[in-house]
Parts: sequence; C-alpha cells; structure tokens
Amino acid sequence: MRRHWSLFTTASRYALIGHARNRFAMLLVVLYIPVWIALAYVTIPDRPAPFRLRATGEVLTPPGNHLTQITGALNAVTLIAGFMMFAATFTGGAFDRRLAMAGYPRHHLVLAKLSALTLVCAAVAAYATAAAGFAWSPRQPLVLAAALFCAALTYGALGVVFGSVLRREVEGMFAILMISIIDVALQNPLSSSGSDSAVVRFLPSYGAVQASMSAAFSSAPAAQGLAIQSLWLMGAALAGFMVFRRRTRDALPPAVRPDGRRDLRGPTSVL
Amino acid sequence: MDVTDVHHSYRRHAVLRGVDLRLRPGVLAGIVGENGAGKTTLLRILSGELRPDRGSVRHSGRFGYCPQSVVLDDSFTVRQHLDLFRHAFGLADLRRAEEVMETLALTEYLDQRAGLLSGGSRQKLNLTLALMHDPDVLLLDEPYQGFDWETYLRFWKLATGLRDAGRSVLVVSHLAYDIDRLDQLWRLEDGRLHHQDRCSEAAA
Repeated sequence: MRRHWSLFTTASRYALIGHARNRFAMLLVVLYIPVWIALAYVTIPDRPAPFRLRATGEVLTPPGNHLTQITGALNAVTLIAGFMMFAATFTGGAFDRRLAMAGYPRHHLVLAKLSALTLVCAAVAAYATAAAGFAWSPRQPLVLAAALFCAALTYGALGVVFGSVLRREVEGMFAILMISIIDVALQNPLSSSGSDSAVVRFLPSYGAVQASMSAAFSSAPAAQGLAIQSLWLMGAALAGFMVFRRRTRDALPPAVRPDGRRDLRGPTSVL
Repeated sequence: MDVTDVHHSYRRHAVLRGVDLRLRPGVLAGIVGENGAGKTTLLRILSGELRPDRGSVRHSGRFGYCPQSVVLDDSFTVRQHLDLFRHAFGLADLRRAEEVMETLALTEYLDQRAGLLSGGSRQKLNLTLALMHDPDVLLLDEPYQGFDWETYLRFWKLATGLRDAGRSVLVVSHLAYDIDRLDQLWRLEDGRLHHQDRCSEAAA
C-alpha cells in the first residue's frame, strides 16, 4: 500500500511540476482570464439580453456584458485546460511510454495525471469565478465555479485524447480551438439564436453553460446541468484513459515483463 | 535472449522476414544493416514496444533499452529523471546510476533541466536511464550519437565492463569502426539476420 501511495504521489508531483513549467499556459491563466472577462465587461453594452434557459424553462434577462463575461469565462477555462493537457500529453507521450515500459504502473500514471488536471482545473475555475464576480455578484458563485470546473475538466480530458491520437502539434491546437468556438458560439444567446435548437444539447459544454447561467443569474438549481456535464466529462475521461493505455501498452505479456521485481517471480519472458 | 522466426510488416512492406537470434550471457553483440533495413523495428520488437506479426521473443532477467531518439522530459532536471525512474524500476537507491553518470561525466549536470542540456549530455542521460537498474539484457539503439571521442571511448569501456560482468549487450548501429569491440556480429539484410565473420565485415 505504501508503495502504491509513493508511486501515485511521485507521479502526481511530477505532473504538477510539468504543468507549472509550462510558462505559456501559466501566463494564459494569469492574464488571459481576467483580461477577457474585464474586456467583456467594459466593451459589451449592459442593456438586458433576455434568453430562455433550456434547463429550467426560465426566461433570464441579465445585462449583456454580464452574460458575455460568463460565456467568456467558460471559453477561457476550457481553452486553457484543453491546451495544457494537449501540450502535456503530446510532448510527454514518448516519455510516459518509456516510464511505463520501465515498470511504472500505468494506472498510477494516469491517476496522477487526472489528479494534477483536477487541481489545475479547480484553481483555474476558482480564479475565473473570482474574476467574473469582481464587478458584480453571481447568484450562486460556488455552483458557477463547479460549472467552470466541470467544463475545464471535460476539455482537459479531450486534450489528452487529441494529444494521444494526433501526430502534429498544430492539429491538436486547431482541433481544440475549433471545437471550443463551435461549442461556445452556438450556445451564446447574444451571438446566435441557435441556443434554442436541440442540437446544442449535444455540445461538449452544454451542461456547463446551462449550470453556469443558472448559477450566475438565477437561484434555480443547476444540478441537471452539472449532471449532463459530468456525463460528457466521464465520456471524455474514459476516452483519454483508453488512448493512454493503448499508447503505453507493452507488447510483452504483463506477467512476464522483465522489470526488476517481477523478474524475481518469472525469469523468462515469452512473446 | 532467444528470438525465433520474427516477422513484421508495415502494411504490405515486409521489414522482418524471419529473424532468429540467440544472445547468451556475457556477450557483447552487434547488429549492422543499411538504412531502412529494419534495425530499429527489430529493437522495438525485442524491447516489447512493438508486437511482431509473427514469432517469439524470450529473454530472462532484468531488461534495459536505450532508444535511438532521446526520450526525456525537457521540463525535469537530471536528478528528477533519476528519481522518477528509480520509482519505475523499484530501486532502493541510485548507486548504479551514480556509477554510470560518473563514467559518462554527467554528474555535474544533476540539477540541470534536460531541455537545457547539450545533445551529447541528453544522450548520456538517455543511456543512464537504460542502465541504472543494472539490467541483465541490454539493448542499445545507436547509443553513442552526439558523443565526443572521449565519451565514446567511455561508452565502450562501460559496455565491455557489462559484458565482463556477465550481462548480455546488443548494440545496433552502423558500427563501421566498432567491429573489433564485439564478440558477435549480425547483418540485417532482406529481413533476416546473417551471422558475420568480423574480419570479412571489417574488410567490407
């Protein structure tokens, strides 16, 4: 048990070190989120922008600039989490494989990556919520933070998938960017009437958008939105786990993989 | 290590067409072959990185593999790499890694990030990670790329030391100048390994 814990904490520590040394991502977190949210506040008119929240059927009439701040926060946290995880997976793929081949248990590696992603997304979501609530108070700030957190996690897991299956860095960046643009733009009541279409229910951040709008502008429960987002999150995380497993698999059967410890039990490997 | 009738193709292009190889303990062996002959494919199969279409690979004891391209995480220091792989190999200490680094003159870079190391130093770390658990069978794919002459000689001292200690070492390279250092030599040609007389190879 101590060995499992040691393997998990070691891998988690190094996953966090890796993220922290991604200077560009850190710069995006520190600057992009507040700048985006502040610009939305000062440049978008504050006249009411009525829209019907599909999750509750309620018609909300928040100021246009507040509404844009929430969609902007969603856009920022999803892009940052997606890019960070894509970059970490893409550049660290061969290294993870080497570690796994050397005997580092893949479950510990993937759980450590997930833990690091969770911590990063929690910090980014809390920061974005604080930035959005600087000039006005969202009705349910904790729920807003939870919605941003789930959306960021979903895109983070999608980043892992793209980082594992795509061959070129630019492909992954474009894939995340284009999905995010379609996802957020189609759901934004200011820029599109498409938010009333049934198609938007299948977009990756639909649940988070519904939950964050409820949380920001009403006191209606947002559990349904969070639950829908959790489904997307679980699907993306499962896909990420599967591709990670596939990429780090060892062609030698596990029982006879000749690393130091198992070798003591089974000295011969057979392919 | 016993390799029997290994075949592998990339789509319709057959790269390996029945490779047989036996590597005994205490042997320093080499595989040569022209570019594209399938040397790296064979090593990836021997290391378990790639599953062959057909055939079997059997080896006993601890196993080490130094890939041709340097596989490191540029954001970690040399010391952090050693710590991660110490956990991966389940080692109690870094005694062997320290010996290897001392031989390769890498110790002074312990707290340097891999991304800031020179090409030769990166290759030294790449090699240290393959050797730090004192493997019984060691596969090395072009292991001295980027080494200066002094380090190149130190590498061969390390490899012969391993052989003398009873380890099996297989080096894949163009090896034009290294044939005399080997106990056995094979040429990979037409997807098969052909045992070579070292004198005739040297003459060729």
